[in-house]
Amino acid sequence: MPIQLNKALIGRELQPFVVTIERGKIKEFARAIGDANPLYLDDRAGQASEWGDIVAPPTFMTTFRDAAGDNTDFLRELGTDISRLLHGEQEFELHRPLRPGDTLLCRSRIVDIYEKTGRSGPMGFVVRETVATDKTGEIAGAMRHITVVRL
Amino acid sequence: MKYSRIYAEDVKVGDELPPLVKGPIQQIQLTRYAGASGDFNPIHQDHEFAKAAGMDDVFAHGMLSMGFVAQCVTDWAGPAAVRKLGVRFAAIVRLKDTVTCRGRVLGKSSKDDVHLVELEIWAENQRGEKVVTGKATVALPSRDG
Repeated sequence: MPIQLNKALIGRELQPFVVTIERGKIKEFARAIGDANPLYLDDRAGQASEWGDIVAPPTFMTTFRDAAGDNTDFLRELGTDISRLLHGEQEFELHRPLRPGDTLLCRSRIVDIYEKTGRSGPMGFVVRETVATDKTGEIAGAMRHITVVRL
Repeated sequence: MKYSRIYAEDVKVGDELPPLVKGPIQQIQLTRYAGASGDFNPIHQDHEFAKAAGMDDVFAHGMLSMGFVAQCVTDWAGPAAVRKLGVRFAAIVRLKDTVTCRGRVLGKSSKDDVHLVELEIWAENQRGEKVVTGKATVALPSRDG
């Protein structure tokens, strides 16, 4: 009998959290990918650019996490644990480049939970959307994350 | 030339992006990516944990492969050009795998002086199997300014 995911979590809004983008974190992230673009790594190249500073790589929002949050509790409530998770899909919408010092309010919501049977057996899917707004209330970016749970 | 400026007028449907070859994937890169991204799932670090979870060995974060695909796009269009990037992780990337990222222009549109280019993007391993498939939208400058 495969595990049942807790569908009562559909629609759940997670605790909002604030992130401030750190210069060093942008560089560490670009280096970890092995991307040596000077607009990520070189402050002078950033200053000389039309953006006035270095910018974050397009997938940088994946680093946005609630430092106070504990994912373990959420996974337990969902009915699974970290060893069963795979990343299914990911999407980013970037309304403007993200730069050091940007402070963003992130709001995440579980938009769907469903099950399907694929080649490798029954799988659960958890769809989470996060919207990041800046101090003026403008949306800076958004992301949609589909976690696959091996049931 | 790497990082040269590309303009909307220079792009045609069917154009291919210069391929970007990454890897072979080493454990140290997965460890660095864990630290940089904050994704410390031990399935990417700890062989015993991965085995107990039913995998053959540790494997790369999907987001690392997405970072490679994003680099393929930004090497071509510029780091601030990406408006949308969406992928499906089609297969696991393992240690020692080489990942080649590719892209192709699907369409172009212009509205209110914003020139958007739609791309099909993907990455394949050394056996030619697709590990990431997706789409991206980039905004490119015009030669008319």
